[in-house]
Amino acid sequence: MKLLPRNLPGQMAVLVALALFVAQAINFGFTLHDRQAFRLEQVVGPVSARIIDATQNPRARDPVIDARLSELRPDETPWDRFRPRPQATNPMPAGLSRRADVEHGIRRKLTEAGIAVSEVVAAIRHVAPDDPRLARLPRYRAQRLRMTGTEMLIAIRQPGTGWWVQSASWDDSDWSIMRGLILQTLVLYAIVLLPVLWATRRIARPLRTLTNAAEGFHPADQQGPIEESGPHDVRTLIAAFNQLRTRVLAMLDEKDRMLGAIGHDLRTPLAALRVRIESVEDDDDRTKMADTIDEMNGTLDDILSLARLGRPSEPVTEVDLAALVDAVVEDFRDLGKPVEFAEVDRLKMRLRPSLMRRAVRNLIENAVKYGGGAEVFLRPSAHAVEITVCDNGPGIPPERIGEVFEAFTRLESSRNKGTGGIGLGLALANAIVREAGGDIRLTNRPDGGLAATITLPR
Amino acid sequence: MSGLPHILLIDDERSIREPLAQYLTKQGFRVTQAGDAEGARARMAAYAIDLVILDIMMPGEDGLSLCRHIRASGDVPVILLTAKSEETDRIVGLEMGADDYVVKPFSPRELATRAKVILRRAAAGGSRQHAPDSGSYAFGGWVLKTGERALVDREGVSVPLSTGEYNLLLALALRPRQVLTRDQLLDLTQGREAMAFDRAIDNQVSRLRRKIEADPKNPELIKTVWGGGYTLAAEVTRL
Repeated sequence: MKLLPRNLPGQMAVLVALALFVAQAINFGFTLHDRQAFRLEQVVGPVSARIIDATQNPRARDPVIDARLSELRPDETPWDRFRPRPQATNPMPAGLSRRADVEHGIRRKLTEAGIAVSEVVAAIRHVAPDDPRLARLPRYRAQRLRMTGTEMLIAIRQPGTGWWVQSASWDDSDWSIMRGLILQTLVLYAIVLLPVLWATRRIARPLRTLTNAAEGFHPADQQGPIEESGPHDVRTLIAAFNQLRTRVLAMLDEKDRMLGAIGHDLRTPLAALRVRIESVEDDDDRTKMADTIDEMNGTLDDILSLARLGRPSEPVTEVDLAALVDAVVEDFRDLGKPVEFAEVDRLKMRLRPSLMRRAVRNLIENAVKYGGGAEVFLRPSAHAVEITVCDNGPGIPPERIGEVFEAFTRLESSRNKGTGGIGLGLALANAIVREAGGDIRLTNRPDGGLAATITLPR
Repeated sequence: MSGLPHILLIDDERSIREPLAQYLTKQGFRVTQAGDAEGARARMAAYAIDLVILDIMMPGEDGLSLCRHIRASGDVPVILLTAKSEETDRIVGLEMGADDYVVKPFSPRELATRAKVILRRAAAGGSRQHAPDSGSYAFGGWVLKTGERALVDREGVSVPLSTGEYNLLLALALRPRQVLTRDQLLDLTQGREAMAFDRAIDNQVSRLRRKIEADPKNPELIKTVWGGGYTLAAEVTRL
């Protein structure tokens, strides 16, 4: 079924072509039948008439014909138009293909005319283009015989009289009619298929545009509505899609505004709290409170980022990924965290730098938080780049590895509750990397600890 | 008139404004409060204000518009309080001519430190740094974009910097061909971010050199001045 085209113009074209072909085949059948009947009639009628004439007026003589007949050698069959003459023996050469339909037709005609016939033989004989007899024929008849290359020989045995022999022209091939029909079909195809193709393309092109727009729909793309084109039905569909798109964008805008409002509304009391705790006398208490507020703020940041990721405001730019990872690692090291990274060569990539920084930071943050430190590797290959963050922590039970990407998952059983975090970090990192066309994989290292690997296409 | 530096604190949120005013007063500032842009304008007219601390998100005329007004009418330094840490706000705020900003929730201690740094700078030079964080600085084939905090090379590829590296490079780029001692650099880079820079300036410099010098062993851009410190040996063009 792979031969069948899947698109609309293709299917329409194939359908119309098939229908046309069937119609033409039927037409061809009828034409062929008519032609054959006509050809039979053209042979049977004159030949029968001449034989009837010859048998009924055996003595009528035409001097011209007699003269011509005398030129024939004994083994030669006379051409038609020559007055048939009776012969004693069957003059038909052996091995010719007989035509029962012609025999039947002539027998009927003769019987109708009251002539008793004991045997009718009709057969097709090939005429070579250099047959000597052709020279003796009138030019137009010789030409016709040369062209068709066949003649019909008819012999009739009349009891008591002997054999009458006649020859008639016979076009054995149906090629000319075939050629006509093929030409006709091609002309029909051109007349019918071209408009069909044009019409279906007119429908298909806007549909394809629509499909591409629907598939490539990304809230971050600031492309306008699709142009309405094609027939009315398609225009209506495109208009409906454009409206849907507008509504979706409006909802996403609304979501952004709402998240912004939530962020603002939560940050303000958090900020007030942060200012107030400065009056707490106990340094230890104050530090702990400040840490808690920072953590809440970080979570709030993650929630906002995660929710806003559908429409990232940051453009994709050319970035040195090696320097990016290095910068993130350096920020951790500046804070005194044990994070190791072996510098690698410049690695040019197209991505959103702030978001990718955040994804890498979240992975390292998890490693530092749960694994006590991190070792970061950057491995470029031909088609992808891998950023691996390894820690020496407890790892994750294999059956729960898939869960950790879900927002708000934290593996209480294996990780210390006291270290905080609600598992948003990984979900956010995952969302960022996926938006960039990549993937994050978590694996337990054979020698202990967890390895988080970001794979990005190059 | 007391000799204390006079801060005008503008925030529509009383829950932040009042305790912050209290804290800043305790830290040795004279604080006048305003709840909106209108009140702020009135107090600006009435007092000789040394520093404005201004919330961006306010009902009515917002902080950015007020900031622009303050910048247009005088030389008073401005610190913005912003609720969002989105990059775009950063750029916009600094293009408006603010001297610095803090993201809510901020540590009042850090705010006080920055206020002191800005006041000291203003008192020392008289000529205030013109919106130090805004715009882009081009030198030796590199462009340091402050809005995006990115260093961009000739081919347009952005080379991310750590916070420490960025602050150090910005400090150098703002004072081209000046010799900056390690102490000066520490002073200039610290307090700009909540991060504490425990590691020596030398370390940051050598890391920066590896990123921006053609031959890090033979630096052409960040040169060591014997017995002095470091200098950015290149023309810096503000874009």
